[in-house]
Amino acid sequence: MLFNSYVFLLAFLPATLIGFHLTGRFGRDAALLWLIAASLVFYAWWRPLNVLLIAPSILINYAIARALLRVAAPRPRLARVLLLGGILFNIAFLGYFKYALFLTSVAHDVFGTNRLLTAVVLPLGISFITFQKIAFLVDVHGGRISRFSLRDYALFVLFFPQLVAGPIVHYREMMPQFHAAPCRCRAEDLAVGASLFCFGLFKKGILADQIATYVSPLYAAAAGGAHPALLDAWLAALGFTLQIYFDFSGYTDMALGLARCFGIRLPMNFNSPLRATSIIEFWLRWHVSLTRFLTAYIYNPLSLALTRRRLARGKAVIGRRTTPAAFVTLLLFPTLLTMFLSGLWHGAGYQYVLWGVLHGVFLCINHGWRLLRTRLWPKARRGTWPGTAAGFTLTFLAVVAAMALFRAPTVGTALRLWGGMAGLNGTTLPEAIYAHLGPLPAALGILPDWSGGAQSLEAWAWTAVLLAIALGLPNTLHLLAAHEPALGVKPQAGAGWLARRLQWTPSAAWAVGLAVLGAAGFLSLGRLSEFLYWQF
Amino acid sequence: MSVAANSETEILATLSGILQDLLGDEAIHLTMQTERQDVPGWDSLAYVNFIVATEMAFGIRFKLADVESFPDVGAIVRAIGAMRPPGGAPGAAPAR
Repeated sequence: MLFNSYVFLLAFLPATLIGFHLTGRFGRDAALLWLIAASLVFYAWWRPLNVLLIAPSILINYAIARALLRVAAPRPRLARVLLLGGILFNIAFLGYFKYALFLTSVAHDVFGTNRLLTAVVLPLGISFITFQKIAFLVDVHGGRISRFSLRDYALFVLFFPQLVAGPIVHYREMMPQFHAAPCRCRAEDLAVGASLFCFGLFKKGILADQIATYVSPLYAAAAGGAHPALLDAWLAALGFTLQIYFDFSGYTDMALGLARCFGIRLPMNFNSPLRATSIIEFWLRWHVSLTRFLTAYIYNPLSLALTRRRLARGKAVIGRRTTPAAFVTLLLFPTLLTMFLSGLWHGAGYQYVLWGVLHGVFLCINHGWRLLRTRLWPKARRGTWPGTAAGFTLTFLAVVAAMALFRAPTVGTALRLWGGMAGLNGTTLPEAIYAHLGPLPAALGILPDWSGGAQSLEAWAWTAVLLAIALGLPNTLHLLAAHEPALGVKPQAGAGWLARRLQWTPSAAWAVGLAVLGAAGFLSLGRLSEFLYWQF
Repeated sequence: MSVAANSETEILATLSGILQDLLGDEAIHLTMQTERQDVPGWDSLAYVNFIVATEMAFGIRFKLADVESFPDVGAIVRAIGAMRPPGGAPGAAPAR
């Protein structure tokens, strides 16, 4: 069931919380088993068949992990084979459901083969679940997890706040919390949790869903072959960037809040990413738990192995005297491969893969620039305001342009949108404005647009408001910094001028404010829209 | 100052030097509490290079599992301290 649905908010959540509180009286075991049972109901709600798919996968992973634990020390070679087998099993599991269709269509495009598969129903959240399972096996193999039970493992995989769309969690950061949780509802946890949830519901139900109503028709038109003019193309790209930010960060706030109601803190996922002043920084602020996963399990091992190998052979590595060969082997290759896999993970489609690779190229340019700057101007002062402003602008434009590719149903649609953003399809202005500007627009080659001027103005007004919130206001982690809203968030996060003035406290003013946000979000439930990231 | 503290200071100084050289910033001074996000420019690429340069400098090899989970510089210093051959490095006088 969706977090933003009546059945979840009015039935499932209250029942689960009350049950958790009551079973907690019989001890931790009962409360944790209750959470597992509730999570299974949550997962089975869409399609009971889903449980029949995920349950065997949990049991198989558990068995492999048990075996790994036993053979890791005495028989390292066998352990490596087991680990590889476990990873392949999980990738194959994900691959069948998520990529079988894509691969047959690639085969069709490249070799002209007939499409055999027609439809495979994707079990919900399978991409997120698969990543966590792989990380678990790697951690057991690496000796970072030495004790676990089937109950703990099942809870780690199934805990419903993070089950379908993250944040992607590590066993070693979750289990100590479950083992130390008081297993009853506490006032502070409920207050902080409910506040986070209200913020999230408002972001999703009001901000993201409203901007989506302006953005979706633009993509539909471009997909149908239309060539959007300058302003429309920018509205599509900018609007969708804001939509996905408020959608996914709203979802994450809800997940953090739900977990917190049970006394559990999930890791952070978003930290005002649109304010980043470089692409490297963007990825440290956007979908942080995914970046963390990709860095730890793909980029670092690959990059470390390659760097050690080059050093052992006496070849140059990346540093003051980077050679082109070192740049290609140690930076370009691991970065592009990691981001390619990131794109593929997001979705089985050419546009996702290209989006990932495009961000990989951005990252390489960013790293290349840092190396070049260190070499050419070693004494230059860092963080000057013109440099920061230029970095912000460039990063923002790159992210927004790439988002059009992420949203477009096909690569061709994205190309038409980019053409429009570059001004290749001309410029139009709503007629109502056009008429008041005298001969100026005509002199600039701008044409009047007779369709939907009011709606276009409304869309730009929403875009401006959302942009101001995303760039100017403290985020939820800043506002609740004193209460560790996400794992590891320190009180200093709320130290900004505005954040200090707006700090969340259990006060009447905040209660009213959050009630308004929550109620607005709740009233928007009627139009029920899914979270963008639930498809992954 | 205890032996342990002394060798900690010395390891920290070496690590600071490695990072200064990598990032071209002589103002960097690492402490046991420094985290990666505290140092501008200490990104994933610089981190991998830092780890490999540290391995070279101390003649050690970190486990991959550790590389990913060092929470702060202090954890790196302790890992190096635990791996260095006893009495093999300058400043690490045998315990009295």
